[in-house]
Amino acid sequence: MASSSSTEHTVKDNAGDGAQNPETKEEDKKDDSMFECNICLDTARDAVVSMCGHLFCWPCLHQWLETRPNRQVCPVCKAAISKEKVVPLYGRGSSKQEDPREKVPPRPAGQRTEQEPGNSFSGFGFGDNTFHMSFGIGAFPFGFFTSTFNIGDQRPHAAPQGTQQHMEEQFLSKIFLWLAIVFLTWLLMA
Amino acid sequence: MAQNVNPFLELQTDAAKQSNDSKKGSNDNHAVTKRLHNELMTLMMNQDKGISAFPEGENFFKWIGTIIGPKDSAYESLKFKLSLDFPHSYPYTAPQVKFITPCFHPNVDNGGNICLDILKDKWSALYDVRTILLSIQILLGEPNIDSPLNALAASKWQKQEEYKKYVIDAYKEA
Repeated sequence: MASSSSTEHTVKDNAGDGAQNPETKEEDKKDDSMFECNICLDTARDAVVSMCGHLFCWPCLHQWLETRPNRQVCPVCKAAISKEKVVPLYGRGSSKQEDPREKVPPRPAGQRTEQEPGNSFSGFGFGDNTFHMSFGIGAFPFGFFTSTFNIGDQRPHAAPQGTQQHMEEQFLSKIFLWLAIVFLTWLLMA
Repeated sequence: MAQNVNPFLELQTDAAKQSNDSKKGSNDNHAVTKRLHNELMTLMMNQDKGISAFPEGENFFKWIGTIIGPKDSAYESLKFKLSLDFPHSYPYTAPQVKFITPCFHPNVDNGGNICLDILKDKWSALYDVRTILLSIQILLGEPNIDSPLNALAASKWQKQEEYKKYVIDAYKEA
C-alpha cells in the first residue's frame, strides 16, 4: 500500500500545473483507495477489518481463508487471523446494500460488551467473597429462634484474602465442615 | 441411508448443483477479470522502470510480461519475456509464471520454470502482476544459491566474469 500511495503522490505532483479541478479529483481518488479491499483492489463491500488493521470485503477474505484452511494469515502482513476475529465496519446505510444471493456465510456480527455496572450493588454482600457457615447443637425448638431469627446479627467480616488470619480462618472452617459431616454420618448410622 | 435415495431425485439435485456451480464460476470469473483489469490500469499508470505486462490477445487470463535485467548485474539491459497464466481462482492462488526467453539463472530451470517462494507457498492475495515482475527482477540480481534449479548456474555465480558469458550464450532475444 505504501508504494502505491507514494506513486500516486508523484502522479499528483506531475499534474500539479493543471487546473484546480483535476487536482481535487486526484485527491478524491486517493481517498477512495484508502478504502479499497486488499484482495479485489476495489472499494470494500461488506467491509471487515482484521485485528492487524487491514481492510477487506468480507466475501474476499472469506474465500481467502477457505482457500488455505491450515494456514490462515493476513494477506497483507501475514499475521495470524481467523474468521471469528474480524471486525465488521458498519457505515451509514451499509446494511441495505447486502446481497441475499451471496453464498458466503453472513459477515460476523460486531461484538459489544455492556458498560461495567458501578459500585451500587457492593453493599449486597455477594461480591465480597466471604462465606459464613455456622454449626450448632441446641435444644430443638429453641434452635430455630437462634438460627432463623437472627436478623440484626452483625458478624465480623472475614479477614482479607492472603493474610495469615484468612488462612487460619479457611483452615478452621474446613475442620468444622469435616466435623459436621462426620457427626451427621454418625447420626445416620446410629 | 444414501442407498435409499431415489436416484432420479439425486440426479436432479446434482444437475441443480452443477448449474449453481457454473453460475458461481461465472461470477468469480467476472471478479477475476475485474481485478486483472484493475491491475492493468495501475501498471499502465505507474510505468515502473524495467517491467511491463499486457494481456495476450483476447484472453484476459494469459499475459505476457517483460523484465529488463537489473543494473550492475550480469543481466544488465537484457530484455526477458515471461508468460503469466492466471487460474480462475486468482488472486487466491498464484499465477503460473514462466520465462519465455531462455534465462541462465540458479533459480530458473531449462523449461523456464521459476523457483520463487511468493509464487508457491508464500503467495498472498495482495501480490499482483507488478509485484511479481518486480520480485523476479530482483531475483535476477540476487539469486538464492542454496536451493538451485540450475546447479551449473549456482556453481558459476561466484565467478561473475564467467557467469556473464553463460548468460549471454543462453540468451536469445525472442
